[in-house]
Amino acid sequence: MSSTSYPRKLSSVRTKRLLRRWEPYFLLLPALLIVLSFFAYPVIKAFQLSFMHYVLFEPSKIGYSGFDNFKALLMDSNMPRILFNSVIWVVATVGLQFVLGFMLALALNRHFRGKHLYQAIVFLPWAVSAFLIGMIFKWMFNQQNGLINHLLLELGLIDKAIAFLAIPGTSIIPVIIAMAWYGVPFFGIMILAALQSVPHEIYEAADIDGAGRVKRLFSITIPYIKPTLVLTVLLRVIWVFNSADLIYIMTNGGPANSSHNLPSYIFNKIGYSTDFGQASALGVLMLIILTVYTIFFLRVTKYNEAGDI
Amino acid sequence: MQLFMRKRLPGIIRFCVLALFLAGTLLPFYWMLVTSLKTRLEIYGKKITLWPENLTWVNYAETFRSSSFPHYFANSFVVSILSGILVLAVSILGGYSLARYRFRGKGIILLIFLSTQMVPVVIMLVPLFMVFGNLKLLDTLPALIITYTAINIPFCMITMSGFFQRVPVALEEAAMIDGCNRMETVVRIILPIMLPGIVATFVFAFTAAWNDLFFGIMFTTSESVKTVPVGLNSFVQKFDINWGEMSAGGVLSLIPVAVLFAFIQRYIVAGLSQGAVKG
Repeated sequence: MSSTSYPRKLSSVRTKRLLRRWEPYFLLLPALLIVLSFFAYPVIKAFQLSFMHYVLFEPSKIGYSGFDNFKALLMDSNMPRILFNSVIWVVATVGLQFVLGFMLALALNRHFRGKHLYQAIVFLPWAVSAFLIGMIFKWMFNQQNGLINHLLLELGLIDKAIAFLAIPGTSIIPVIIAMAWYGVPFFGIMILAALQSVPHEIYEAADIDGAGRVKRLFSITIPYIKPTLVLTVLLRVIWVFNSADLIYIMTNGGPANSSHNLPSYIFNKIGYSTDFGQASALGVLMLIILTVYTIFFLRVTKYNEAGDI
Repeated sequence: MQLFMRKRLPGIIRFCVLALFLAGTLLPFYWMLVTSLKTRLEIYGKKITLWPENLTWVNYAETFRSSSFPHYFANSFVVSILSGILVLAVSILGGYSLARYRFRGKGIILLIFLSTQMVPVVIMLVPLFMVFGNLKLLDTLPALIITYTAINIPFCMITMSGFFQRVPVALEEAAMIDGCNRMETVVRIILPIMLPGIVATFVFAFTAAWNDLFFGIMFTTSESVKTVPVGLNSFVQKFDINWGEMSAGGVLSLIPVAVLFAFIQRYIVAGLSQGAVKG
């Protein structure tokens, strides 16, 4: 009895040890399986498609076509405008969101009565679908019976209602306003969380030194939370660059393709021309731009941080 | 005067800023609500009224009658809750692994998950459309559930691993000395501590699924499988926009999210400040 139990115990220890070695992989397996098959594989497939002639309406012509899709993009007369829009879209939106979100977070970084209720209301846009936000703003910017035209008329700033969403060249501006409005709560939450991580002792030391509020903000608070700010902005730029819902809903890129950014143009291509090859080529272009941006950004911020704190 | 500048002025500025943000946030919602309660005549009339002259529920009744709105609603719920739960389960397992083990290939796995964060989702529309076509899952809810799960796992898992790292290992060791095994320790001791983070993660995954538009447009065509944004969008594309009914549909779709958000808003700030800000 006792002679058999010894080796069995040993083997169970060994299997336990073996199991333990594989444990981290087992735990990660579901995530890896799902992400590799429904995230990584599609991205690889998109690269393949970008080198193919693939139009859904012409099933007989599907096949590899080298760099034809990319050449077609170079010739596309819409592209300069769309690239320009993409930059404006990101810079204006993220800039507005950041400044307003920062103001909101500063105002919220002190206790007052009803703060929880206030936060619940002001952070609400974050939870609302882009579709709904887009529709509300489309209705508010409407030429006929839109609220904004009404207010501008009442104030005497304009004499005739303006079709904000149908002016070539500037129809993206109302969309940017809607997008900025949509993202302020996100920035507010992230910056507020960062502000709350600043230790009080630092401020106490500053009070002894007699530093004013504004000086305190710029020479203590902002440097302290800078890593969080930088990371938030980095992620937000990527997110906004990739986002197309509001454009699709409010102007659908119109009039005459003048308000598309890159992703909304891709969605347009998929939906109307069903040219999956060119759409994928545009997607690959976006991915390249983002990769370059990320590498550049990481370099620059690391370089700056080396001197700080 | 000097004293006023130092003591009172900041408070007044703070109050004004808070009031402005509140008004700015509420205005669009207010306008949607008011529009949904107006008659057609009033919405398109010469004069714009800031409060309905004849309050009416007709837009709500019409929304329910003329579209498959209740259906969209049920679909959105099923898709968002299931993908939220799946994301959470997978992220807890993977997040724990990343936070508590040292193993070969960890760096590469982390890199894979991090790099997904810069992939534009539009790039995946077409390939996923083909994948689900091959799997015979187009125009079904599972296609949406799988997609939203896959897209939200990387971010949620990394966040989750951040939450695990914040719980001291000593706590876990103490429980294990008391005779709990690893599994029991995590379920009974660690997860309850991380509740705010878990709630925040679930809400993130839920709202991402609830709000998606493009994958829904791409993968679904039948009324019976459309989610709220996709259903309302197809309604808009088919007919001239009826702003009264549109607003009514909007208000209805807002209610569950607003309720959910009001309940857990406290957890979100707590959860984010636990996970996101690590000095």
